[in-house]
Amino acid sequence: MSAMRANHRHRRSKSEPVSLIKCLTECGRGEDVEVVSVNAGFNAQRRLYNLGIYPGSVIRKKKDAPFRGPLQIIVKGTNIVLGRGLASKIYVRCGESCTFD
Amino acid sequence: MSCHTPKNSYKKDECNSKAIINIALAGNPNVGKSVIFNQLTGLSQTIGNWPGKTVEKLEGHLDFLGYHFNIVDLPGIYSLSTYSLEEIVSREYIVSENVDLIINVIDATNLERNLFLTFQLLELKVPMILAINQMDILRKRNIELDFNDLERLFKLPVLPVVAVHGTGVHELLERGIEIIESFKDIDYKFPDLTDISSFGKEIETKLQILISEINNNYPHVMDYNYPARFLAIKMLEKDEEILKLINSIENVEPLLAKTNQFINDLEDYHGEDINSIISSEIYNNIHQLVEKVITIKKKKEMKRRSFADKMDHLTTHSFWGYIILFLVIFGIYSFTSAIGNFLGTVIDDVFSLWTESIYLSFGEETLLVKIVWDGAVGGFVGAVAGVLVYVIPFFFTIEILQDSGYLPRAAFLMDKIMHVLGVHGKTIIPMILGFGCNVPACAGCRIMETKREKKISIALTSLIPCAAVMTVVFGLVGRYLGLGWVLLLFFINLLVILIVGKILNKTMPGTCTELIMEMHEYRKPNYKVIFKQTWLRSKEFIFKALPIIILFGVSLEVILIFNILEPINVILSPITFFWLGLPAITGVFLIYGIIRKELTLVLLALFAENLDIAINVFLSPIQMITFSLVTMLYIPCFATIIIIAKQTSWKYAIQITLLEISLALLIGGIINFSLVFIAGIL
Repeated sequence: MSAMRANHRHRRSKSEPVSLIKCLTECGRGEDVEVVSVNAGFNAQRRLYNLGIYPGSVIRKKKDAPFRGPLQIIVKGTNIVLGRGLASKIYVRCGESCTFD
Repeated sequence: MSCHTPKNSYKKDECNSKAIINIALAGNPNVGKSVIFNQLTGLSQTIGNWPGKTVEKLEGHLDFLGYHFNIVDLPGIYSLSTYSLEEIVSREYIVSENVDLIINVIDATNLERNLFLTFQLLELKVPMILAINQMDILRKRNIELDFNDLERLFKLPVLPVVAVHGTGVHELLERGIEIIESFKDIDYKFPDLTDISSFGKEIETKLQILISEINNNYPHVMDYNYPARFLAIKMLEKDEEILKLINSIENVEPLLAKTNQFINDLEDYHGEDINSIISSEIYNNIHQLVEKVITIKKKKEMKRRSFADKMDHLTTHSFWGYIILFLVIFGIYSFTSAIGNFLGTVIDDVFSLWTESIYLSFGEETLLVKIVWDGAVGGFVGAVAGVLVYVIPFFFTIEILQDSGYLPRAAFLMDKIMHVLGVHGKTIIPMILGFGCNVPACAGCRIMETKREKKISIALTSLIPCAAVMTVVFGLVGRYLGLGWVLLLFFINLLVILIVGKILNKTMPGTCTELIMEMHEYRKPNYKVIFKQTWLRSKEFIFKALPIIILFGVSLEVILIFNILEPINVILSPITFFWLGLPAITGVFLIYGIIRKELTLVLLALFAENLDIAINVFLSPIQMITFSLVTMLYIPCFATIIIIAKQTSWKYAIQITLLEISLALLIGGIINFSLVFIAGIL
C-alpha cells in the first residue's frame, strides 16, 4: 500500500518552477491536472476529500459558469460543481500548455 | 416490546410465524436507490422524519418468500463523516439494533466515487450486499465488471442490477435471506477485509494501537455499537460526534493524547492534513480494487457529442441557459395553474350543484348543515379544489425536473446571483419550484446542507409568489390595470426577497457555505418512477396537510355562524381602512386567504357580486394595487407554515410569519400613501 503512495508524491521538487502551480480558477480547461493543496475550511475540505479532490488526485476542469460563477470539474469520472470562492482555494499543478482561455 | 432480535444472532420471530428482516438501503444520491426502494415497497411507503431531526425518513415493507422485510431508504450520502446531518443519522441508524442487512446501491458508471462510501460502510461491520446499478449503461460503454472477482475480494454478495428495468432487484432479497439464514444459530462474523481495505503501514500500526487501547481499557465504548476500528479511524479524522462520544467516558485523556500524537506524526510524515491522508488512502485502495475487476473491451469512438452532452451545453450556456431557465419557470407556473385552475373549477362547480340540493333537502340555515356541510365538507372541497389540484401536477413537474437532472444546471447558472441574497446556488431550486406552489417548494429546502442555509432559503422560498397568488394579481391588477402594473408588483416582490435575504444573511450567525454539488448526466426520466414518486408525495400531503386545512375551514364557518365577522372587521379596520386604505371588509378576505391565497380574490368577487357592483367600482385602482401587493407578501399560506415548522421549528415558522405580515403591512401602507400622494399631485 505504501508503494502506491509514492506515485502520488506531490511535494514540489526544488527544480520545479512555482508558476506551474495555479489555483483552479486560473487554470485552463480540458486538461488533467494534479491537485496540490486544498486551502479551504475544515468542513469544505473534508467534503472535497471525500469526493476525490485531495492532494495527489487528478481532476479536469470542464466549464466556467457565466459572470464568474461556479466551476464544473470532472473528478473520478463524475461532474462536480464548485463555487468560485472554493475553487480559488484549490491549487493544482498545470502542464506547460495549460493557459486560461 | 419489540419482536426484534438482538444484533448478530438471528432467530425466527416469536410474535408471529413470519420471520422479519430489517434492511437499510444506503448509497450516494442519484444512484437509483429510490427506484429500487419503490420496486420493493411499492405503495406501502411512508415518509416521516427521523425522530427529533429534520431529515426525511422513508420506510416501507414487503412480504417475500415467507419473510417480512422492513426497508428503510437512507438519505443519499457520500461518506460517513459529520459533514451533514444525513450522514450522522445514517451511521447511527446502521449500528443501532434495528438493521439486519445493508443493501449498498452503487452506480456502476461512477464506481470509484461510489465505492468511497462502500469502504466506509464496511468498517461498520454490518452484513452487507453490494448492488451495482445502471449496469445497462455500463454495457453500452463497452465496460465489463467481473462479479465473481468482486465477490471474492469483498467476501460479500455483489450483484448486478438494472433498477429501472427491475432486473436483479428481488435477487438482492434472495441473497439477503441466504446470508441471514447462514448465521442463524452461530455468531455472525463479518469477513476480514484487510486485503482490500488496509492503509499504509505507518497508519495501520497506529490504528492497531488505538484499537487495542479501546478494547482493553475502555470496553464501555463498545456499548455504542461502533466497531473499534471504525472508532479509531474516526478519531484520527477528528470526527466531532465520535469525539463527543469518547469524551463522555471517564479517564479518556491518555487515549485522546495518543490520538493527537498519532495525528501529528502522520501529518508531519505525509506533509498534508490527516483527512486528506485517509481519503487518499481509501481512494488508493479503491483504485487498486477496480483495476482488478474492470475490463474496457474496446474504446468507443466518440463520433459526435451525445444528446445528453448537447443538452448539458445548452442548459449551461451563457445566454441560452438563462432563457431556458426562464422558460422552465414559466412552464412550471403555466402547467401547474392550467391544470389546477381547470380541475379546481370543475370541482367547485360540482360542489355548488351538490350544495344546492343539500340546501333544498336540509335547509340552508340549520346549524348542522352549516358546520358539517359548509364547514367540514366545504373545507375539504376547498382544500382539494384550491390546493391539491395545484400540488399534484406540481409534484409531477418537480419529479421530471429532478429525475432528468436539470435542477443542478439551474443552480450552476444562478449561484453567483444567489450569493447576493446570501445563499448559494442550490437555493434557486426550491425558489423555482415556489412559482408553482410554496408548499412542496419549502419542503424541498431540505436539500440545503446547513441549518442556516435551510432557514434562509425557506424564508425566501415562502416569499415567492406561487400560482395561487399570481391568480389574484392577474385577476385583479392584470385584468383592470394592465400587465405593466403586474410586472411592477412582481419586481417589488423580488426586491422584498432580496432585502429579506440581505437582512437574514446579516443577522444569522455563520457564513454561507460554498457550493459543492454533483451534476449527473442528463437522462431520460423514468415515468414509472415519476408517477410513483408523485403519488407518494401527494399521499403525504393529503394525509398530513389536508386535515388541518379542513379544520381551519370548520372553524371559520363557526366564526361566520356566530357573527364574529363584524367584530373582526372592526378590530382590523385601523390596519385595513386607515393604514392600507382598503374597505374594512377586506380584512376578512385576507384572513380567509391564509388557507388559500386565491380566496382573497374569490371572496372579493363574491362580495361585489352580492352588492351588485363591479370589482373595479368597489375598489379603486390604488386599492387594487395595495390589495394585490398585500396578498403577495402578507403570510405564507397555512400549509406552507406547517411545512416550515416541520423543516425548521415552530418558533422559526412563527418568526417568518410575523416578519412577512409586518413587511406586507409596512410596504402596503407605504405604497398606499405614496400612490395617493402622487395621484393627488397629478
